[in-house]
Amino acid sequence: MEPSLSTYLALSGILFTIGAVGVIFKRNAIGMFMCIELMLNAVNLTFVAFSRYYEDVTGQLFVFMVMSVAAAEAAVGLGIIIAFFRNRQSVDVDDASILRN
Amino acid sequence: MNTILLMDLIKPDPNIAAVLPEMIVAIAGILAMLYDSFVPKQRYVTGAISLIGLAISAIFLYSMWGDLPETSWNGMVANDNLRMSFSFVALFVSAMTILVSSVWIDREKVPVGEYHALLMFATFGMMFMASGNDLVIMFLGLETLSIATYVMAGLRKGDLKSNESAMKYFILGSFASAFLLYGMALIYGATGATNITEIAAKVASPNFPALLLVGGAMLIVGFGFKVATVPFHVWTPDVYEGAPSPVTAFMMAGPKAAAFASFVRIFVLGFPLVASVPAAVFLHESWITALTVMAILTMTLGNIAAIVQNNVKRMLAYSSIAHAGYTLVGFIGAGMAKTPEARDAAIASVAFYMLTYAVTNLGAMAIVTLLGQKNDRRTEFEDYNGIGFKSPVLAFSLSLFMLSLLGLPLTAGFMGKVLVFRPALEAGNLMLAVLVVVAVVNTAISAYYYLRLIVVMFFRERTTDWTAPKIPFAIGAALVIAIAGVFYFGIFSNGVIEKFSKSAPIQSAQVK
Repeated sequence: MEPSLSTYLALSGILFTIGAVGVIFKRNAIGMFMCIELMLNAVNLTFVAFSRYYEDVTGQLFVFMVMSVAAAEAAVGLGIIIAFFRNRQSVDVDDASILRN
Repeated sequence: MNTILLMDLIKPDPNIAAVLPEMIVAIAGILAMLYDSFVPKQRYVTGAISLIGLAISAIFLYSMWGDLPETSWNGMVANDNLRMSFSFVALFVSAMTILVSSVWIDREKVPVGEYHALLMFATFGMMFMASGNDLVIMFLGLETLSIATYVMAGLRKGDLKSNESAMKYFILGSFASAFLLYGMALIYGATGATNITEIAAKVASPNFPALLLVGGAMLIVGFGFKVATVPFHVWTPDVYEGAPSPVTAFMMAGPKAAAFASFVRIFVLGFPLVASVPAAVFLHESWITALTVMAILTMTLGNIAAIVQNNVKRMLAYSSIAHAGYTLVGFIGAGMAKTPEARDAAIASVAFYMLTYAVTNLGAMAIVTLLGQKNDRRTEFEDYNGIGFKSPVLAFSLSLFMLSLLGLPLTAGFMGKVLVFRPALEAGNLMLAVLVVVAVVNTAISAYYYLRLIVVMFFRERTTDWTAPKIPFAIGAALVIAIAGVFYFGIFSNGVIEKFSKSAPIQSAQVK
């Protein structure tokens, strides 16, 4: 039996939620970043599922854009995290605490 | 669906002229990057290249104002008043940022070519956020802008404050992007389209009405982060305080305006009120109510938090949150407008508000940058103690900018506020009337912290030695432009507003 549209949507919803919860509860910057990637891929799954449902390639085109953007974001993000690590010897976001009220 | 797309692929609709302003900005960025890699020791040439690129782009933008087809590139790029006015704001912010940052470039060891190139790419992204009439274009514009800005916030690699600011901005910014993207995916799922015009046509009869609602909510979360509204504002003060001052100036005015451009286009033009269909009425009511609550919270919390700040940059960060709230008032007014003309006027008022905010805030940040000294150390309120009569030029200009942010008559801030509050009042709705009252009360609250800075400058004794800094040429030019802008937009705003709401309105057929 072929899974229906709602199966894909439920799976992507669950993945997205896991990612969002991970970003909120994780304290390690790299881990948070991985959770964000998970969220983006959950969105990709939604796009592909709808693209197949409508038999329309726009959704798949969107996925290509998202993947290239995610790659660019990974490059920049890891650079920023490394710069922080060099000065602070830590990637824990709780150590990012000089800017507080 | 398939056949239409195939037709589109066979018959593309390229219109280079329609995206020329964006392309010129991108080319200026590439030239700046190339020049820097061949002549690495320069300080001003890449800035000049960028300024020239921005100027040429502005000329093209101005000359094509109003005489282009409504959409081009198969409906992906819009040529309406919204695009033109917000693109102009983006170009202005970028040019002012180059002027403001010159003193900082001299002071710190900034990789200047990279900085200017990144600024140009960010501007390119902002312009595409304004011109995109398709979710794909908006998303790509947003990411081009965001990725460039993440790097700019962290440009001072050795400084922990800058690192921290960049890391927070990056993590929360991409978190917000993910929400935004999920919203876009659900809207695509609900309507089967990514084009705003097609979405507007499908709103009355979506394939999955529930997904449309959830998608709209996700978009509000995502854009709420980007324009810094309560409750999605937590990153703002930290990021704005830690980033280098000129970059903060850019982030306060530029990305906020660009995010508002896309936000307005998706919600006001993409989710219009279709009075005959209950589901569409419900959708419209939901987003108006959500934004109204958000606007009230944003203004109130932004202003109250700004009162207790002791750092000028942090105070301006909270003030920028409050200003996002005022802008939302005009946005909601645009959503409730009864005729396409009233709607266009309301959208023009939002663009005009972002312009007045940009003029005033960039002027203020020019002074903050100049007085900040190395590593932006001197940004506390006490660093401004008693500078009033020692450096009257700076103190009086900064006072003028504070009064304009407050919204004193004859200044740009006043006209901006009047114009964004008017459409909300004209809608003749009780909720919106309450919103305007809250906005006016908030303006009164904000007087406390804006005037406090003036009092500090003129009436406090200074215990430590302080010599007034020499005003470099570029900062002087930025100040002259900002002061002229504050008065020009405050007194002769009619011409600008007319220009912003004049060009051919798009999609007026859909709004009944």
